Amino acid sequence: MTLLDRPAGRIALLFGALLLLATAAGLQAMRDARFQTDQPAREVLYVQSPAAVSRLALSYDALASDIYWIRAIQHFGRTRLNKDDASDDYTLLFPLLDLCTSLDPYFNIAYRFGAIFLSEPPPGGPGQPELAIRLLQKGLVARPTKWEYLQDIGFVHYWFRQDYKAAAEWFDRAAKVPNAPWWLKPLAAHTLASGGDRQSSRMLYRALAQSDENEFMKKDAQRRLRQLDALDQVDQLNRIVSTVKEKGAVAPFTWERFIRSHILRRVPTDPDGFPYRLDEQTGSVTVNPASSLNPLPTEPQRASGTPPA
Amino acid sequence: MTTILRIAVQVFKECVRDRVFYNLVLFAVLLIGVSLLLGQMTAGQEVKIIKDLGLAATSVFGLFIAIFIGIGLVSKEVERRSIYSVLAKPVTRTQLVLGKYVGLQLTLAVNVAIMTIALYGVLAFYSWTTPALAKQAWEGPALDPAILKASYLILVELSVVTAIAVVFSTYSSALLSAVFTFGLAVAGQFSADLKNFESIVDSRALVWFLRGIYYVLPNLASFDVKLQVVHQLPVTASYLAWATMYAAVYVGALLIIAVVIFSKRDFK
Amino acid sequence: MTAAVETFELSKDYRVGFWRPRPYRALDNVSFSVEPGEVFGFLGPNGAGKTTTLKLLMQLVFPSSGRATILGRPVGDLAVKQRIGYLPENPYFYDNLTAEELVAYFASLFGIRGAERRKRVARLLDDVGIGAERRMQMRKFSKGMVQRVGLAQALINDPEVIFLDEPMSGLDPLGRRDVRNLILRLREEGRTVFFSSHILSDAESLCSRIAIVAKGRLVAAGRVSDMLAFRVLGWEIVLDDLPVAPSSDQWGGRLRRVTRLDEKRFSIELSEDVRPEETLPLLLARGGRLVSVNPVRESLEDFFVRQVNAAGDVSRFLDDAPRVTVGKSGETVTKKAAAGSGRGAQ
Repeated sequence: MTLLDRPAGRIALLFGALLLLATAAGLQAMRDARFQTDQPAREVLYVQSPAAVSRLALSYDALASDIYWIRAIQHFGRTRLNKDDASDDYTLLFPLLDLCTSLDPYFNIAYRFGAIFLSEPPPGGPGQPELAIRLLQKGLVARPTKWEYLQDIGFVHYWFRQDYKAAAEWFDRAAKVPNAPWWLKPLAAHTLASGGDRQSSRMLYRALAQSDENEFMKKDAQRRLRQLDALDQVDQLNRIVSTVKEKGAVAPFTWERFIRSHILRRVPTDPDGFPYRLDEQTGSVTVNPASSLNPLPTEPQRASGTPPA
Repeated sequence: MTTILRIAVQVFKECVRDRVFYNLVLFAVLLIGVSLLLGQMTAGQEVKIIKDLGLAATSVFGLFIAIFIGIGLVSKEVERRSIYSVLAKPVTRTQLVLGKYVGLQLTLAVNVAIMTIALYGVLAFYSWTTPALAKQAWEGPALDPAILKASYLILVELSVVTAIAVVFSTYSSALLSAVFTFGLAVAGQFSADLKNFESIVDSRALVWFLRGIYYVLPNLASFDVKLQVVHQLPVTASYLAWATMYAAVYVGALLIIAVVIFSKRDFK
Repeated sequence: MTAAVETFELSKDYRVGFWRPRPYRALDNVSFSVEPGEVFGFLGPNGAGKTTTLKLLMQLVFPSSGRATILGRPVGDLAVKQRIGYLPENPYFYDNLTAEELVAYFASLFGIRGAERRKRVARLLDDVGIGAERRMQMRKFSKGMVQRVGLAQALINDPEVIFLDEPMSGLDPLGRRDVRNLILRLREEGRTVFFSSHILSDAESLCSRIAIVAKGRLVAAGRVSDMLAFRVLGWEIVLDDLPVAPSSDQWGGRLRRVTRLDEKRFSIELSEDVRPEETLPLLLARGGRLVSVNPVRESLEDFFVRQVNAAGDVSRFLDDAPRVTVGKSGETVTKKAAAGSGRGAQ
């Protein structure tokens, strides 16, 4: 009678099998600890041509486009989180978004997000505003009357390329679309007149924060507004320091001195709650490097040379 | 006519016994599973992706059922010789072929209907749990009646594929039928490409040839309105009518071919 | 009176071989007729063309030439199909249906509905001996049970003519007996039964007329009694109370064999051509009692083998092969083949 014939024998054998499986798991853990774990392969896009992918997807283009969209987000998120890893960059972002929108030309969010992500300067993004504009223009081919895309193009010109004339032109075109919101026309005018100052920027962002299109976009616009507030506050604080310096104050400059002198009531914090940094020697005020508002936008050139309002 | 219906009902019952409808379980698992995972990954696009996935899965599962059951409808009966006793009854060969086709279409209709209901169920859940403010960001309502149009056209497309499968089933073995039917179904998606080839190709003879193939091959891609439905683009009643007519004409031709082949076949 | 089944010069050619298909003549100008109300046996060795003939009658295959009628109408006629039943050889039905469902489905194809259908299905399954298993899926059925279900579906429409292809194949002796009794009952009910078989003892006891095919040709046909009357091989006399045991050396070789049945009881086979009338007095001269006198006939098997072998010998000389047909009144007619009529298989 072999082991297999007895029920107890069979149970024993099964138990033995279980032990072997546990051993396998243990060996796996050991391997991970001992040997160099596999480097995650660099993400590769095998098929880059939209026409080819469209054929491969047969009639499931929309679903394929969703998959590329998810990949685009993950690619962006992962690269952003690994800021220190220099080997990671945003090279696949445009191809992925391009594929996504070729498969589904009506994929609204891909165009709008794409524009923002692509324009963002490093290390937050690839800093490719030209590609962002190209993507938006592709969106316009599918939906020529989507004023949001026209506005977005204007915005990219304004903020990331500092080309105010072009920005104003695009805002104007957006305003001409039937059903466009009323504030595009004044925005175009204002941009032309004093483009590059915080006031028009504020107007722009307020407009975006009002658009109900997307929760994410709204939050992003609100954050930009807080950044502008921070810049305002920094300027204000710097003026206070200059005034104090004119009156003869010398280093070291600390917030405690200002508080003791009753100039300030407490340590000033930016809209996100991080205290501003005061340089002890020079007295210049900057936003805390740890602040979540960083990196602050670079101040665009002023069109008419007036100081920021 | 009633004989055709009787055979059709029998086919339906057999499909139930063959556990065809278990694919619905897989469908449900897929839809619910993916929607649970989606949350973090899509930046607010859950509804669009669920609609895309639901419609795509309805189409794919339906296609598999149409092909794999379709090719066996007649050829399996002949191979196993259960057809001997059926044909000795007062049933013509024509009625047998048509009855089998109708039966499979019935099965597919039920399948697509249940999947559409399940899809609406998941969308209803999203509609219910998403705050009104976020809903404004949606391109279209979650419980969009336009989805029914897409489901209907999926069923119409399946009716053509089923007919192709039945034609092959009347004279070919199961394996070969599967390959040919699948091949035709895929080729039918590329009709648009055929038309575009004309601008690339130089030889006139080749252009005429390609144009001929374009008109002969069933243009299955024309039944695909998933993109339009999800993005709230119009799908007119006249388009639905055209698609139905196109499919009916094609199915009619295919079934006639099937009946003619089958009517003179020797069952060795 | 119209024949129940009639064939006229029925022939079927198949193409055999893949690269250069050659014609294979499965059936060669077979003509016969079956009278209503009789049990007709269609006999022949395997591969002779029995199943081909049945398939031609059921229009599962189409003839290369010739034609056939059932109940006076051409084969395939829908109205006629309402009145016939068919049991194929080694039948296969839908595995995942139960016996009840299968017979009910077939009944529905005849237009039988509702309570009438339920009644008939139950009755028929009882008749063929399927009990509680009728609710089991047929994938679990033994061959014998499938055969019984096959009989049930062949009879569900109360047919006038029943076609059975090898109905006994694969059955155990009990099953065979049941089928035989069923056929007898069908005859009593006045139905016509056409069945093919290679089991001759059944044909001998069941059929009134038979036809024998070999290698696609009809080689003999007619009343069983007529055909077997052709050859009386001898006589068998059973005597009892014999004072002395007879031996085969006696009486100048008149006795072919003597078998002792009991102490004083003997069975005596007379030699060929010896008549019992003259031998009996000799045997009983010393006393004894006559129990029985019986002719020893050629069995159907011997007859069959003889005919089949003759067909085999003769088919080498194709055009001279005699054609045997069975006329309406049961007489067999043998004609010489017309010159130039089809080639047979080699």
